[in-house]
Amino acid sequence: MGWANRLLTRREAKPSASDEALFDEAFLARLELLQVVARRLFRGRQRAERKTRKVGSGLEFADHREYSPGDDIRYLDWTVWMRLHHALIRLFEEDEDLPIRIVIDVSDSMRTEGGAKLRYAMQVGAALAYVGLANLDRVGITCASGRHHTTLPAVRGKGRIFRVFEFLRSADRGGPTDIRAMCSRVAAQSRQPGLTVVLSDFYDLEGAFEGLNMLRFRKHEPVAVQVLDPVEADPTRLGLRGDVQLVDVEGGDARDVTLSARAVAAYTQAHQRFCAQLESSCRSRGIFLAQALIDVPFDDMVLRLFRQGGILR
Amino acid sequence: MSFAGWTLAQLWPLFAAGAGAITLLYLLRMRRRRVVVPFAALWERVTRESESRRLWRKLRRLLSWLLQLLVLALVCLSLGDPRPEVWLRDPVSLAVVIDTSASMAGPAPDEPGVTRLDLGRRRAEQALRSLGPADRAVVIEASEQVGVLAPLSGDPSSLVAGLSGVTPRFGEADLPRALALASHAVSERPGPRVLVVTDGALDPAATAALVDCTQGSIPCEVARVGGPSDNVAITAFAARRYPYARDKIEVLTEVRNLGDTPAKVVLEIEADDAPVGTRTLRLEPGQSTREVLGQLDAARSRFEARLAREDGGTQPFGLPHDDVAYAVVPPLTPLDVVLVTDGTNLFLEAALLTLDDHVRLTGISPQDARQGRRPELAEADVVFYDVGADTLPDTLPRAHVVIFDPWRHEASPCPVDKKADVRRPFLTEQDKGHPVLDHVVLKDVNIARGTTFDIVPGDEILVRSLGDPIAVMREGEHATVVFGFDPRQSDLPMRPAFPMMVDNLIRTFEQREAGFVASVPVGAHRELTLADLGLSPEGVTRVRVQGPQGPAGTLPVERGRFRLRALTPGFYAIAAVDGPLAGSSVELAVNQANLHASDLHDRIDDQIQALDLPPATEAAATTDATGPTSLVQGPLWTLVMLVVAGLIALEWVSYHRRVTV
Repeated sequence: MGWANRLLTRREAKPSASDEALFDEAFLARLELLQVVARRLFRGRQRAERKTRKVGSGLEFADHREYSPGDDIRYLDWTVWMRLHHALIRLFEEDEDLPIRIVIDVSDSMRTEGGAKLRYAMQVGAALAYVGLANLDRVGITCASGRHHTTLPAVRGKGRIFRVFEFLRSADRGGPTDIRAMCSRVAAQSRQPGLTVVLSDFYDLEGAFEGLNMLRFRKHEPVAVQVLDPVEADPTRLGLRGDVQLVDVEGGDARDVTLSARAVAAYTQAHQRFCAQLESSCRSRGIFLAQALIDVPFDDMVLRLFRQGGILR
Repeated sequence: MSFAGWTLAQLWPLFAAGAGAITLLYLLRMRRRRVVVPFAALWERVTRESESRRLWRKLRRLLSWLLQLLVLALVCLSLGDPRPEVWLRDPVSLAVVIDTSASMAGPAPDEPGVTRLDLGRRRAEQALRSLGPADRAVVIEASEQVGVLAPLSGDPSSLVAGLSGVTPRFGEADLPRALALASHAVSERPGPRVLVVTDGALDPAATAALVDCTQGSIPCEVARVGGPSDNVAITAFAARRYPYARDKIEVLTEVRNLGDTPAKVVLEIEADDAPVGTRTLRLEPGQSTREVLGQLDAARSRFEARLAREDGGTQPFGLPHDDVAYAVVPPLTPLDVVLVTDGTNLFLEAALLTLDDHVRLTGISPQDARQGRRPELAEADVVFYDVGADTLPDTLPRAHVVIFDPWRHEASPCPVDKKADVRRPFLTEQDKGHPVLDHVVLKDVNIARGTTFDIVPGDEILVRSLGDPIAVMREGEHATVVFGFDPRQSDLPMRPAFPMMVDNLIRTFEQREAGFVASVPVGAHRELTLADLGLSPEGVTRVRVQGPQGPAGTLPVERGRFRLRALTPGFYAIAAVDGPLAGSSVELAVNQANLHASDLHDRIDDQIQALDLPPATEAAATTDATGPTSLVQGPLWTLVMLVVAGLIALEWVSYHRRVTV
């Protein structure tokens, strides 16, 4: 029955030849240009100037707290002791660089139409990583789905961009979309919360917003980039009509439907409502959500993220 | 309904196989196209809203499948070539002979304004519309002339169309020729049959032909269309000059009641459109009367007799065309008379000169006559030879000739041979009844010498001398009258009988020449003489005939005669096309005046098994119900295939309109 299983089971996705050309010389040139533009945008800011909210051994006073046995008495506020006979420990903000975590959804829903959405997401993710590395930020990348979860540990330095490329090329892909599981694992792996950019189509009715919210709960600063194929958002361009059997690319039962013009228009409206609901939920929690249509050049998309999304501060 | 093509036993397996194939294809069509989508959950949410329409969609698919099966069933049905039982009978070749004689213009029973011909047309249409697709029919008109209204065809609409333009004629139906044509048209074809539609008012010849047809080898049916037979007709109408008063005219009219009830009619006579007489007549059934209207002015030439109702109503008496009659009196033309004389017989010249009103006299000497130097001889109507002791010419002219003492010399061109010379002949016997000797007494005439004649059969002996003919008239193309004595050698010129005899001779020749063709009947060809109509025939080779209806036509003229077939009553203008008098014209009256044509009684013998004509209303209803639907006459499978094409088009449109998808 092995042959039957091979026929029936979905073939595992492997990097294709087109992925080899994903980060070619032209892509690198565009990244350089993008980095110059990004530097002009954030001129005047110091390298690794991002600060965590962690209170520690920094120089800038942050707060007081009650003294407890075992505290370093060097941080005891003697002035308060002398005046009030109340032992308080002075707390200082600790200067620490903020890591950037880029999470790319590599589920099957990102691989429709020849994997255009996934390639676009990887290009955007690579561009973000390049700009981050160029700013001496620590950048980590995770390619995840409901089946796979591959992580490139945080790296620093512009020269590591090729490692990022190699990681993206060789990352396993496929499987169902599971935003919540993906975000939960990213949050668990991250010892230090940071800026987490999630690139996905968020085709997960229940788990899309919950996953982002979980990152936020773990002190991450989540930024959602919803990668959309315009044809998927508006199937009327495909001219779908008649009796068809709809099969979800991520598996599940096939569904016989009769597609009329009215039904296709209803799907378009439903897709718009889904996107609007996702955006509304993110906005209410302070999560920036950007829609990235794959027919828009990726560098334009990255610049728009810089301008509007506050990825770099 | 039967199948002329495939049988049911062949059609059922075909339909079953086809239905199975269609069902299989339909099921295959139901395997939907797989469309991979990235987010089926959203599609599910959308399509869940149309779940309530799923039953209707299934029903639509079911209808589509049933539509395909219906198309297959119709195709199988067309392969069977279904036909009504009546179409499967043996083909029939039908010849419809419709009587269009004058009597068919008579009224139909119980339907005012409808003629017998209308009923006959309905009956013929009924027969034509009942033809099957393999049947053929021809429609023949039988009037005074026979014609084909619609050639042999299987299309009832074209046959009926040919029948629609038929109108009643003015003469008798020439059924013998029509039936011969009908039999000839269908005898060689399958299922020959002849249907005669007539009112039965036929002449004996037509009735005999009809009886022969019904008893012949080809089935012959007779459909009678009768009606009221009351009719009053003008059966004769003539006008002439008085023989002895040629400046006066008398008119004879014969009116007959051909119906079964007494009739009272008013006879009106017009001359040159002016009324000249009116008579009120009461006629018993079958009674006829002759009315003479005399002493009319000879200046009038066109006469018209008309029957009218006493109350002034316009309703005709039975047939409308026999209520009117026409007559023409030709103009009076003087005779060209040539007298060949040595000038010593002044009595003869004086007798001819007294007839100056209708004689144009020319005198020629015997020498000129012998040498032929005078053209008047060739143009003369009558030539008198009174040469005395002189000799006659070698040949006689082509004219009426009167010769006195032709055998004085041994050599004579006289066509009547000499028998014997007689000294002092006595005129012992004369034919008092002969018009030449009318009111002439030749008793005790003294004659010095004479000659008797050797006659041949046909010669008319005017006077005998002791049994031997001494005055003879020989008929021919031109008459020759010979007297076996010289008037100079007798005392006859001094008697009153001499000028009277000369006048009788001229009048006899005049009456032979012209002026007594008052009218001709419609129908058959009739030979007419131009001279009879008052038109000089000299040099005329063609005449133009203009009837009361229709365009003018030209007819050839041979020796002053031409053949005319007049089909419409009325006045005809006859004009010379060529000759010295080219363009001059005379008139000719043509009348229906035919006793058989006016008699509306059914005269077909009871031995003919005639068809019963359905009531007129039923015939009309049948015609209306059938309608000119030519497609119905074609094979039914063509209609079935048209339905199939329509269903396929419907399915195509519904499919592409996503109605049955």
